[in-house]
Amino acid sequence: MFRLLFAMFLGRSAGRLSRLFGRGGSAIPGLIAEKIDPRVIEKLASTIGQGVVVVTGTNGKTTTTKMLVRVLESAGHSVVTNPTGSNLARGVATTLMETASWRGRVVADLAVFEIDEAAVRKVGPRLSPRLLVVTNLARDQLDRFGELATTAGHIRVAVEVSETVVLNADDPMVTALGDGRDPGSVRLFAAVGEIRAGMPSDSNLYADGRGRVDSPAADVLLERVVSTGDGQEITLRLPAGERLDVTLQVPGAYNGYNAAAAALAALILDVEPGAIPAALESMPPAFGRGQVVEFSGKRVKILLVKNPAGFNQVIRLLAGADPGPVLVAINDLDADGRDVSWLWDARVEDLDQSGHAFGTSGIRAADMALRLKYAGIDSWSDTDLKAALDRAVAAAGPGATVHIVPTYTAMMRLLEILNPGRSAREVWT
Amino acid sequence: MTELVLAHLYPAEMNIYGDTGNVIVLRKRAEWRGIGMRIDPVGVGDTYDFTSADIVFSGGGQDRSQEDVADDLQRRSDDIHAAVADGTVFLTVCGTYQLFGRRFVTHDHTEMPGIGVFAAETVAGDVRMIGNIVVESEWGRLVGFENHSGRTFLDEGQQHLGSVVKGYGNNERREGEGAVTANAFGTYLHGSLLPKNPALADEMLGRALARRGLDARLESLDDSSEQRAAAAAADRP
Ligand SMILES: [Zn+2]
Repeated sequence: MFRLLFAMFLGRSAGRLSRLFGRGGSAIPGLIAEKIDPRVIEKLASTIGQGVVVVTGTNGKTTTTKMLVRVLESAGHSVVTNPTGSNLARGVATTLMETASWRGRVVADLAVFEIDEAAVRKVGPRLSPRLLVVTNLARDQLDRFGELATTAGHIRVAVEVSETVVLNADDPMVTALGDGRDPGSVRLFAAVGEIRAGMPSDSNLYADGRGRVDSPAADVLLERVVSTGDGQEITLRLPAGERLDVTLQVPGAYNGYNAAAAALAALILDVEPGAIPAALESMPPAFGRGQVVEFSGKRVKILLVKNPAGFNQVIRLLAGADPGPVLVAINDLDADGRDVSWLWDARVEDLDQSGHAFGTSGIRAADMALRLKYAGIDSWSDTDLKAALDRAVAAAGPGATVHIVPTYTAMMRLLEILNPGRSAREVWT
Repeated sequence: MTELVLAHLYPAEMNIYGDTGNVIVLRKRAEWRGIGMRIDPVGVGDTYDFTSADIVFSGGGQDRSQEDVADDLQRRSDDIHAAVADGTVFLTVCGTYQLFGRRFVTHDHTEMPGIGVFAAETVAGDVRMIGNIVVESEWGRLVGFENHSGRTFLDEGQQHLGSVVKGYGNNERREGEGAVTANAFGTYLHGSLLPKNPALADEMLGRALARRGLDARLESLDDSSEQRAAAAAADRP
């Protein structure tokens, strides 16, 4: 006990000092505390009365985490959760310490942690999750993970120590994580065929439907998705056959999947179905995830892309949007992935009838312009992001939306340029 | 209208790093010259007569996929050798390129047999050779992105695709990049390879047409976008 309290004291002091010197660094308290007491996560997590939920996967883990937290809070739970981007062990340790009393107890009855899919192998077992949610598995930045099978192996370690798992039944590699478990401890979410057809999982991204299997019976099924401009209306079918109609502020069928995952997790945690829609509806889109920002009197919407599966989701959304300027900004710094080969794996051809006016920017603007050319789409280019943004915005008619599709570091630069204000500054990774 | 046939070998198994872009580019550059292109996907276990194809393409994949593919490739070895002898154009990238050599020796010293189209052997290594790569070749400067730890060594007399200006190529000794036997090309260049290297794409189309006894002269295209993308990539680490 003394060791834990001493670790917390030093960690918190280091955190205050680091903030004092202007280094945000939410990792520092956790990093220091773990040096003093390597079991700081285990000890603090075990004090959370109703247990810990872990959310992992390639795309959608941040949104799913935020949705679940909202639903749980609306049902009267006090919930601790890690800030966006702090999804490694030290981020979890910091969050637990900041919410713990001086007696070393976390003041919350539930925790929901988003964990990076490569870190979940180590962090998962330390949290002994009551529930583990796996959103999907896709090839991320190609030079970050060599092998998808390796990532699945990391997650499997966490699956084995979790009481119940919530899995995406439309993603074969994710569904396979439930193999060999007691069936009662595996719960599934999925979408009807019509929606699933437009959402290729990475396992069948290139196979033109070959090898696609029908999803096993799902506990929560995404039955309907209707875009409503900036957001969408969805219908979720629950295990008892009951249906929930939900109006989401976040766009894109992939967020329908995230809502299905969050709803299923909430039901397993004994939330009343009636409490779910209002809580999901209250969730605003974040910067880079469809939030609309006002710039030079125009509506600008930013849609971050990191990998071909995510790019295909954005392409689907753009294909259904009203014609307007679209700016794709591709950087190739370490945080973006240095290899831009993945642009050729995305179904850019699906945009050739969209009517949008395309521009490209970023360090690899020329690569994106070339990808568009071979999809039969003309574009203009300007590697300077500020100049390109001005050009795209100037081309927008009154009331039109300018869509910007940046990689991670291009999005960070946009954040500076657009300066959307404090409340919107939370950046999603 | 003339129609060429491209066999896309293992589209489901060997499909990472954007190698599919090569197929997109070959088809488009044929279409822009009024030449049609039919794409035949050929998966593990499918029957396929390679003499019916003008061009055969296969890309890189994850290690596990490569093992599945290695077995399947053994069954096709005679057919593929016959097609190579017949002048069919082959483009193999990374994982398939390695299996078109004689063998791949893995980390635990087990041996994955190849089919020996190229007089070459690949040995697993500890260095990940990753980054943008520039190669000087008979078909001009080639630009791509390599990402491999296998080190490929060519026999004396086996022709390279080109010499390495920047990056690694076949191995960390920078002894050249890729291999060429008749109309069969092997390379480590992803990126994808052909979008930024249109002269090589046209070379392949021209050879495919010539093999059919057709006019192999292709009308020139405006490749300024291709050149800009190649120049941008060549400058990156
Ligand atoms: Zn490779």
